[in-house]
Amino acid sequence: MFNKLRIGKRGENIIFSVFVLIYIAWCISSPDMSIESLKSVLTIGLSVGIIYGLVALGISLIYTGLDVVNFSHGEFFMIGAFAGLTMFNVLGDQEWIFNVFPDAYGWIIYVVCLFTAFVSMGLFGVFIERVFLRPLTKKGGGYTVAGMGIIICGFGLSVVLINVAYLIWNPVAKPFPAELGLPMEIGGLFLPITYIWMIVVGLGVAAGLWFFLNKTKMGLGIRAVAFSKDVSNLVGINVPLYISIIFGIACAIAGIGGTLVGPTYQVVVFMGYIILMKAFAAAVVGGFGNLPGAIVGGFTVGIFETASSFYISGSHKDLYAFLLMIVVLMIKPTGFFGTQVKMKA
Amino acid sequence: MLKIDQLVSGYGTVQILNGANMKVENQSIVALLGGNGTGKSTILKATSGLIRAWKGSIEFDGEQIHNLPPHEIVSRGLVQVTQGKDVFPAMSVTENLRLGGFILKTKKQLNDNLEKVFNYFPRLNERKDQLAATLSGGELQMLCIGRGLMSNPKMIMLDEPSAALAPQIVLDIFKNINRIRKDGLTVLIVEQNVRMALLLADYGYVIKDGVINVEGDSKKLMYDESVKESYLGGTKANVQ
Repeated sequence: MFNKLRIGKRGENIIFSVFVLIYIAWCISSPDMSIESLKSVLTIGLSVGIIYGLVALGISLIYTGLDVVNFSHGEFFMIGAFAGLTMFNVLGDQEWIFNVFPDAYGWIIYVVCLFTAFVSMGLFGVFIERVFLRPLTKKGGGYTVAGMGIIICGFGLSVVLINVAYLIWNPVAKPFPAELGLPMEIGGLFLPITYIWMIVVGLGVAAGLWFFLNKTKMGLGIRAVAFSKDVSNLVGINVPLYISIIFGIACAIAGIGGTLVGPTYQVVVFMGYIILMKAFAAAVVGGFGNLPGAIVGGFTVGIFETASSFYISGSHKDLYAFLLMIVVLMIKPTGFFGTQVKMKA
Repeated sequence: MLKIDQLVSGYGTVQILNGANMKVENQSIVALLGGNGTGKSTILKATSGLIRAWKGSIEFDGEQIHNLPPHEIVSRGLVQVTQGKDVFPAMSVTENLRLGGFILKTKKQLNDNLEKVFNYFPRLNERKDQLAATLSGGELQMLCIGRGLMSNPKMIMLDEPSAALAPQIVLDIFKNINRIRKDGLTVLIVEQNVRMALLLADYGYVIKDGVINVEGDSKKLMYDESVKESYLGGTKANVQ
């Protein structure tokens, strides 16, 4: 019935704007509304949103490159957080760092942790792809929609990785006490420095990925593999290697996301699942498979979630991301930046 | 240069080629003709490594290549040029060509080859910053051939370069293929346009039901009754 009402792209945008206006009016009518609360909602929303955006970026990257949705991506995020935390604990015992850099040791340790999470999760992702996903592609289907086995494998991998992490680090939530200095004052608001740091590093990673994909030779190869594996083969690209690289980069970005979240919240074995679901919502909102769309979708979901839980009801915090996803799918099924369907050669 | 011996291959469990034999001499143009579904493209795909050879062997430049992955075959100088629709539409013409030279080591080689391709196809030079999606059918085919030439191949295999193009453009493209051969490359051309292909080629093969049915000098094949027959599916149309 609904597909008979052809509303077109412009109609979609108008209806969506009406929804946004109703939502804004609802928020403004809330008794908690003030400039101060709006400022903090925006900063918290952006900092949470960039994390959703980073994980969504990985999901979108894997989707464009491998044509499957990786449902174990949240676990790479969680293990990345643990990798960063482990490095943090190791470096925290080294007294020479305190002696050599008395002013900046907190920052140095934290940057090393981020780097560790990035590299170790990249290698771990390549390992997982080579050992668990590659044999499935050889059985048939390959990295296509027909390769449903990989999606099921993603769910299984998620359960296995959670339980392995449970065995190694036990289920107690662990603090990540990175010492990054005192809260910063921005526009009359005192913000923990980790919030700013999350946004800055997150945007930096996204910009780095954009540069890598658009300006380097390897990035050109990745875009080619994402478009068509056959044609990439014919121009001499080592396609299996590039598929591993795509998977590795996506996992490395998730690992950075995990380490960024650590100091603000806590590191716990079960943190991956809800992040995966919300990042999935962010990817859908931004347009599935579109990389800038993933970041914008992440910000949208983050701000929407924070604003709703502040102005509407805080007891249903985890609901709002999916509410937004459903509204976007109803009105604008392609998301903000998505194209109708991925073109296949 | 290229020697295909008793090649058996197919997709999944469906066998398409039933022991095809072919030979392409150095610096010649060889035409591979046949109707729909006879296995022309399958021979190309097996040769460039996109599908495995089940039985038989493929030899290129004195080396067995049927067990190599596709990118290794490209780096040995054997490149398949697909039909014009297989370009990367969201990339510019120059980016598409750069991808063709993906296996080149230095920037200088890449720029030299770009120059060479623009020399063959000046139209691409005019449109080098445009997105490939905005090109016309003939320009897309030129882009595809240009992309194949970017990696300094010894031999290129063209998959229906005249498909769905105006006769004027087909003529232009075929002239360029002849020029490419004069510059020292070997060309294998798979065609539906039998007459044009035979005018261009030195030698021709006609494939039917996965085996080579007729072969011979292209001038001779042009007047051969059995070519027409096998091209039309092997049964004489009974028109009264």
